[in-house]
Amino acid sequence: MSPPVPLSPAFDVAALREQFPLLCAQPALVYLDNAATTHKPRAVLDAERRFYETSNANVHRSVHRLAHAATDAFENARSTIARFLNAHDAREIVFTRGTTEAINLVAQSWGRSQLHAGDEIILTMLEHHANIVPWQMLAAERGLTLRVVELQPDGSLDLAQFRQLMGSRTRLLAVTALSNAIGTRPPLREMIDTAHRHGARVLVDAAQAMAHDIIDVQDLDADFLVFSGHKVFGPTGIGALWARGDLLAGMPPWQGGGEMIERVSFSGTTYQAPPYRFEAGTPPMAQAVGLAAALDWLGALDRPALAAYEDMLRATLEHGLAALPGVRVVGTAPGKGPLVSAAFEQAHPFDVAQFLDARDIAVRVGTHCAQPLMETLQLPGTLRISLCAYNTVTEVEALLSALADTLEWLQ
Amino acid sequence: MTFDRARITEQLGQAASWEAKNRLLVQIARELPALDDADRDDAHRVHGCESGVWMSLDWRDDRLTLRLDSDSRVVRGLLVLVLAAFHGRSADDILSVDFAGWLAQLGLARFLTSSRANGLKAIVDRVRDAASRHLADRPARYC
Repeated sequence: MSPPVPLSPAFDVAALREQFPLLCAQPALVYLDNAATTHKPRAVLDAERRFYETSNANVHRSVHRLAHAATDAFENARSTIARFLNAHDAREIVFTRGTTEAINLVAQSWGRSQLHAGDEIILTMLEHHANIVPWQMLAAERGLTLRVVELQPDGSLDLAQFRQLMGSRTRLLAVTALSNAIGTRPPLREMIDTAHRHGARVLVDAAQAMAHDIIDVQDLDADFLVFSGHKVFGPTGIGALWARGDLLAGMPPWQGGGEMIERVSFSGTTYQAPPYRFEAGTPPMAQAVGLAAALDWLGALDRPALAAYEDMLRATLEHGLAALPGVRVVGTAPGKGPLVSAAFEQAHPFDVAQFLDARDIAVRVGTHCAQPLMETLQLPGTLRISLCAYNTVTEVEALLSALADTLEWLQ
Repeated sequence: MTFDRARITEQLGQAASWEAKNRLLVQIARELPALDDADRDDAHRVHGCESGVWMSLDWRDDRLTLRLDSDSRVVRGLLVLVLAAFHGRSADDILSVDFAGWLAQLGLARFLTSSRANGLKAIVDRVRDAASRHLADRPARYC
């Protein structure tokens, strides 16, 4: 097998890296833990700083000039996110702290109001704990049944079994767009079509996919889609739920407080229309502005060229790993994302990661918040190498070389 | 089973780089006897570690018998340090040990701060809690 063809000239990674202050300040660092969090381009840091320096006030309240500027910045951020996802309307975007809170919102608001004893939720073996535990909590409270789509040996989903799980009691499919543990991209459109034919709703966990894939919620035809800012070059503490407008309109509030009310009296309170009904308290304003800057920054890149570049990095990495003795790539589904999980015959992944860290190579080890998946694969965990736009072939080669040394030493 | 704190301190002190210290931990790990499979069960498992860690402790003549094992070699090396600090000692002695200070002296303080990954802090906390409980349970001798 010949090595993959190096990068297309359409994608200039050197120029891209220069936009990341942390990478510039730490040139020896080889950061391959992007599925945990990505670094932030200057555009994002500048946008947050500019908000505090020019527009800082509380949103949606005071009549003064600065409050208008803050509200404009915050609502423009909402519109940017809606545009990035090709949502029908900015009011379909609810700001949350991240993916986890967005899933909990759907479970607590839509789930508690719509699901009843005996109803079924379908999850997949690929899900992150954040897309398992909120449904388990809801299931325990409401007497629901959770069903799980199993894996094929290569780490893709068993679609025949998925179709068998679908039934008249199925109310929701909650599925990742890109597995954080083994990189599988489930065939979302096909699964969404199947779920809709059975009258079920679909929630897509796009936490990992956002930095790599073009997400178009109208094209996908999902019902809910959730993501975190910090995994897509944006700030921590901010993420979003996109939900179809008609679904959001029927969903009750889940947290009470300021911002989300229309009128409060001790005899009863009326709530705002979506999305404000779901945004109790002062929202993370600067972070929302930073997230919008991140999506503007990413959206301005040549996305198809970027996707081809990331896939070339993944192929280079997997090609190199295949040449190392005692290394097995876990998850080889066709079309997988730029994320590679590896298991070792002779060494514990934790030990390997320790030695890579000694050479300033950052990777993740463990079960990746996907313990059911690791149990199914009968692995104590893996070493995960997760790539993104600013990684280089040189970094992949540095990792492979350090890995070869480490494995020899740990024999 | 005894582990020589002075020798460990000298060896790790001489290892200049982080990589050298990790290599030494892997070497030191060879001194650690493996736990029987029967003891490597869920009841003995220390949770919150990215590697498997198992621990059993009991008291003989008011001295702590500590047995530890892991499926990671670096962590096994760290467990030798835990044994060197606490195994065979009295509860009073255990509570007076400045384990974090010793680790800092060895240039290994990072292992305690990243303890969710390696479980070291959870193990040391358990040893301390066991020592405190042992003191509380022991009949008073001076009255």
